[in-house]
Amino acid sequence: MQRFRDSAFDWVAWVIFASVPATIFWQCATTLVDEGVASGGPMENAAFYPEIVASIMTGLLVWLAISLLLGRLRHKTPFTVAEGTGRALVATALFIAYLAVLPYAGFHLATPVLCFLLFRLLSLSMIPAVAGGIGLSLATAFVFQALLHVVLPVGVFGITVFK
Amino acid sequence: MFELLQGLPLFFTPIATIATTLGIVAGLVIGVLPGLGPLMGIVLLLPVAFHLPPIAGVGMLIAIYIGGSAGGSVSAILLRIPGTPIAAATLFDGFPMAQKGRAQDAVGLSMTASTLGGLIGGFFLLFFSPLLAKFALRFAPPEFFGMAILGVLTIAIVSEGSSLKGLLAGGLGLLLATMGTDQFTNAYRFTFGNFNLSSGPHVVSVVVGLFALSEVFFQIESARFLDRPKVQQLRVSFRALRLIVRHKFNLIRSALIGTFFGAIPGTGGDVSAFISYATAKKLAGPGEVYGEGAEGGVVASEAANNGCCGGALIPTLALGIPGDGSTAVLMGALILLGFFPGPELFRNHPEIVGGIFVAYMMGNLIMFLLGIVLAPMFGRALKVPKAWLIPAVLMLSTLGTYALQNSVFDLWVMLVFGALGYVMRRAHYPLAPIIIGMILGDVLESNFRRSLLLSHNGPMIFIERPISAVIIAIDVILLITIIVSTLRASGKRASEDMFSR
Repeated sequence: MQRFRDSAFDWVAWVIFASVPATIFWQCATTLVDEGVASGGPMENAAFYPEIVASIMTGLLVWLAISLLLGRLRHKTPFTVAEGTGRALVATALFIAYLAVLPYAGFHLATPVLCFLLFRLLSLSMIPAVAGGIGLSLATAFVFQALLHVVLPVGVFGITVFK
Repeated sequence: MFELLQGLPLFFTPIATIATTLGIVAGLVIGVLPGLGPLMGIVLLLPVAFHLPPIAGVGMLIAIYIGGSAGGSVSAILLRIPGTPIAAATLFDGFPMAQKGRAQDAVGLSMTASTLGGLIGGFFLLFFSPLLAKFALRFAPPEFFGMAILGVLTIAIVSEGSSLKGLLAGGLGLLLATMGTDQFTNAYRFTFGNFNLSSGPHVVSVVVGLFALSEVFFQIESARFLDRPKVQQLRVSFRALRLIVRHKFNLIRSALIGTFFGAIPGTGGDVSAFISYATAKKLAGPGEVYGEGAEGGVVASEAANNGCCGGALIPTLALGIPGDGSTAVLMGALILLGFFPGPELFRNHPEIVGGIFVAYMMGNLIMFLLGIVLAPMFGRALKVPKAWLIPAVLMLSTLGTYALQNSVFDLWVMLVFGALGYVMRRAHYPLAPIIIGMILGDVLESNFRRSLLLSHNGPMIFIERPISAVIIAIDVILLITIIVSTLRASGKRASEDMFSR
C-alpha cells in the first residue's frame, strides 16, 4: 500500500493515459465501424493508424505499470499538500465558475469579478484588488478588442466597451 | 542567401519591426521572471501572433524565443535563480560577479554574448537550412514518415524524467492529432458527436493549458504571493562591448557548440550551455577562476544557449522536425498561419523563409540594444510580486485562447489540458512531447498511409528506398537505445533497493 501512496500521481497519470488507447479501441470498434471507415486499404481505413499508435501506447503502459508495481521509477510522486494548495483549488473553482457564466454574463461583467477575487485570494488588500480587477480586465480587453479586433463575449446584456 | 533578400521587404514593414521589437521586450521580461521562460512567452503571445501578418506574427514569436533565452540570465545573475533552465550554467559565475559588485558587467556580458552567439547561430541557419531543405526535396512519403518518427523519438529520449514517460506523452500527442475529420475519408474520428471537435482540439488551447494554466496552479500552490526579492539596481552601460573582446575565442567556440547541439532535435539549450561552460573552464587561462566570477563562464553559457536558437531552427524550418518545445510551438504557429515548415516551404515560399531569417537576425540585434538599455527595468520586473503576475498570466492565456476562434469551448479544452498538465508535471512526465506529437501527428499519419498506398509490397516500402531505410535504421537504433537505457536504469534501481534493504 505504501508503494501505491508513494506513486499516487504516477497512478493518476497512468489511469488518464490508459483511458486514451481504451477510448481509441472502443471508438474504432463501434463508431468507426458504423461509419464504414474501419476496414479496407490505407486510404479507406481511418482506424488503422490510431489503432497502431494505441497498441504501442498499451505496450508502454503495461511496461510502466510493471515498473510502478515493482517500485522501479526514479521519482516518488505522493499526494502532498503545499502551503497554497487550498488556494490553488479555490482559484480553479473560481475559473470553472467564470467559464460557466462567461457566455451569459459577458466578458466585461465576469472578468473584473474573477480578477478581483483572484487578487484577493492572492493576499492583495481590498483597494488594490478592486483597482487591479478593473484595470486588468480593461487592459486585456483593450489589447484584444480594440487592437486585435476580437469580438469578446457580450452576454445577455450586450455589454461592450471598446468597439 | 537568396531567401534572405526576398525576406527583406516583408520584414521591413512598420508592423513587422514593431512586433519583433515588442517580442524582444516581452521575451526578455518573461525570461527574467523565474518560472516562466521562452516557451511560456511564446505560448502566451501565440494567439496574438495569429492576428498579425505572417512575418510580423512569426517574427514576434522568434523574438520572444531569443529574448526569453537571453533574459533568463538576469535572474541567475541577480538572484541566483535562473529564469529558465537554459540559464542555469550562467549562475556559476554570473552570481559571484554580482556579489563582487559587478552585476552590471555580468548582465552586459550576458546580453552581448547572447546576441553574438545568436548571430553566429543565425549564419549557420542561413547557410545550412537551405542546403538541408534542398537535400530533403528528394524525400517522398516514406522518408517524411521516418523523419516524423525521428522527431517524436528524439524528443522522448532526451526529455526530463523517463524516456518511457516521454514516449507515452508523444503517443498521446499523436492520438490527439487523429481527433476530428479524417483527411482521407472525411469521417469524424473520436469527436463523440461534438461539432466543436470536428477539427480536433485546437493545438493552441492544448499548449496554453498544458504549459501556462498548469504553471498558474503551481505558482499559486507555492504561495509567497507578496514577496519582493532584494536585487541590485542596474544601469545602462555598453562597457560589456569592450570586455567581450577578451573572450572572442570562447564566444565563437561556445556559439558553435550551441548551434551544433541546437541542430540535433531534442538536445536543447541547457545541454549546450553546460557543455560549452565545461569546455571554457577546461581551456581557461591561469588567471580565470571559474565558479568565482569568471567573465568567461557567463560568455560561454550565454553564447551557447542563444547559438542554440539558430541551430534549433535549422531542422525545424528545413525538415519540419522541431528541435525542442519552443520550436515545436513556433512550427505549430507557422502551420496555423498556412506555411508548413519543410523543403516545400523553401521551394514555394522562399520569401517567408527569408522573412523568418531576417526576423531572427534583426531580433538578435534589437535584443543587444534593448538588453542593455532596458537593464534597469529587469531589476524592477523581478520585484513585481506574484500576486500581480498570476492573474495577468491567467487572463492573457484565457483571452488569447478564446480569440483563436471566438470560442468558449476552446477555454474548456484549455482547462482540461491545464489539469492534465498539472498531473503530468507532478508525475514527472515531460510536456513537450505531447505538442511535438500533436504537430507531427498529421505528417506521420498522412505519409504513413500514402506510403502504403504507393507500395506494392506493404510496409517494405520503408526499407526499400535507400534514404528511408537509413532514417528508419536511425529510428530503430534510437528506440533500442531508449529500451536498453530504461531497462538498465530500472535494473540499477532494483539492485539499489535490494542493497538498501
